[in-house]
Amino acid sequence: MTINLLQDKGIALSKQRMSWKDMVGKPISKLDDDAFTRVRIILMNGQELDSLRTKQVAIRMNRDARVQLAQLMRVEQHQATTINWLIGADHSPIETTIGYEQTAIEVTASVAQLEPDEYLAQGYRYALLEDFDHLYRYSALLDRLEGKDANNIVQGYTDIVPARATSEHHRAPEHDVLQPYGPEAALATKLHALTLTGGEYQTHDYYMNIGPVFADPLARQLYAEIASVESQHIVHYGSMLNPEESVLEKLLLSEAAEVWNYAGCAEQETNPRIKAIWERFLDYELGHFQVALQLFKDIERRDPESVLGNGKLPPFIQFESQRQFVRETIARETGLRKNGTDYVDEADEGRSSLDYRAAVNADGSPSTTVSSTYSWAPGTELTRAQVKAA
Amino acid sequence: MEPTITGPNRTGAAINPEGIASMLEAVNELSPPMPISTLNMDVERQRYIAEAESVGSIPPPQSVLKSTVARIKGVTAAAAMGILLDKLGERLAFERAGTRLYSALITKYLALSNADSAPLPPDARSEPAIDTLTRIRMQELEHFQMLSKCIETLGGDPTAQTPCADVTGTASIGLLQVVTDPRTTFAQSLNAVLTAELTDNAGWELLTELATLAGQSELAESFSEALAVEEEHLEIVKGWLRTLVTTSPGTPAV
Repeated sequence: MTINLLQDKGIALSKQRMSWKDMVGKPISKLDDDAFTRVRIILMNGQELDSLRTKQVAIRMNRDARVQLAQLMRVEQHQATTINWLIGADHSPIETTIGYEQTAIEVTASVAQLEPDEYLAQGYRYALLEDFDHLYRYSALLDRLEGKDANNIVQGYTDIVPARATSEHHRAPEHDVLQPYGPEAALATKLHALTLTGGEYQTHDYYMNIGPVFADPLARQLYAEIASVESQHIVHYGSMLNPEESVLEKLLLSEAAEVWNYAGCAEQETNPRIKAIWERFLDYELGHFQVALQLFKDIERRDPESVLGNGKLPPFIQFESQRQFVRETIARETGLRKNGTDYVDEADEGRSSLDYRAAVNADGSPSTTVSSTYSWAPGTELTRAQVKAA
Repeated sequence: MEPTITGPNRTGAAINPEGIASMLEAVNELSPPMPISTLNMDVERQRYIAEAESVGSIPPPQSVLKSTVARIKGVTAAAAMGILLDKLGERLAFERAGTRLYSALITKYLALSNADSAPLPPDARSEPAIDTLTRIRMQELEHFQMLSKCIETLGGDPTAQTPCADVTGTASIGLLQVVTDPRTTFAQSLNAVLTAELTDNAGWELLTELATLAGQSELAESFSEALAVEEEHLEIVKGWLRTLVTTSPGTPAV
């Protein structure tokens, strides 16, 4: 099935209706479903929430488009609910967190390889090593707090080892910003940046919501620390986006990103019930895209091809273990740091980041404390703990 | 509604040996095993514990029955009254939540029965299981209401959430999550209810002892009667669970 944004119409917005029962269907099985089904669910929930976010901003800034935006938002809200409610209640918040970090790692690694702009590809690899390290720190917490093995979630697809240490992720804000892509950037470049920005928002918001749910002070500290890094990642990826794009241009790209991601999920989904959801929502998004397209033409009076090229969708994110690519990236780039919008060697890191880091780590580093001496082992580290004779 | 059977569980290391081998290779390279120490975590946690404030306070009784609590040896009158009211509040909250827990269990049982899969035979008294469940639920409700009156008698406010009530509520969240999940079987739900009943039995024992120490012989007697009822609940739940897992594996109830 080859989709073209400028030709395929999908289901008309007026025909998109869901009941509460439609939205609250059967969750996936934490035990039996493939980890990449959960990865796609987390990814698409993030995309839906970001699509809502884009429209929430747009409705404040465009008098003529307000009704259409409100109509689109209603359906996006219900799509987001349908997807997010697929996560079963037997996922503890840390287990869901492991799923979030696995999603960040595998999706970012795939995007880094698809990205045609080398500077931005470097940006994906840079933050990839940070989310990769978060998986290790959270796995230590899951093991040491709940006595659970993070591999029950990652299912052997994703390594659980440190990369650039989380304690080193804390940068001064001026060193989080990147150079944005320009108006002539490939459609793939635009969709990649938007997808990752949405993903990081979702992760940040999730950590901010569940952090206070924990009783354990170390868990509260770790979520506080990593939520802050995810906030930096929102800036990191968000600053890739061309700030000169108009609001309706951003709306058009947001809808295109949803179409692209749903099409990729539908093509690769292994659970037939979930695949049917991706296919249905792909048709919904094509319908949304038509509304955005019309607004763009009517209000901005611009040619959509100037934003979308010929409307052909770029290659999809590959939902499979990116282990080899991640390993190579760890070996090559763990030592990289930021100075302004540049990637530099450790010695050349922006001075203000060192000061900022010293301040936030002044009373200790939660991620370091939680994972001290931690090595992932099948069945948790307790499988290799010494049992002392009484 | 499905039985719990052998299937494509993907969580273990054995399902993906190549992936696990790669993970261990990465571990040996990037975080090689060393003696495990959680000392830094433990020290930080101890710091928080030392600095922590309490969950909250016990609501003061509207009228203190000094003659009652003064009899408790070695404990100040106010503290003794406080702990009695706190533990009464805990049992009240537990019995009230227990009523809801049994409602959820009854819903699950009825769903099974409606699907022509009656999971439990009548007991020795020929009481159908649904009647037993309904009776237990009613007894939980009776205990909740009895405790409300006891707290009022002692000058307390039965509508207040005491610290122990709050903490036991936190501890019970998982039980409710298990029983209300449509995917869990009746036996899995019973297992959660068994945890509740074991805790409840110990709770009534302690409350009876506290009332006796406080010289509240009438209260102690009521609590002792409640304990006898809860002991029966425990035996019933244990018995049902044993019956299901030993005689009916592979059925939707298990």
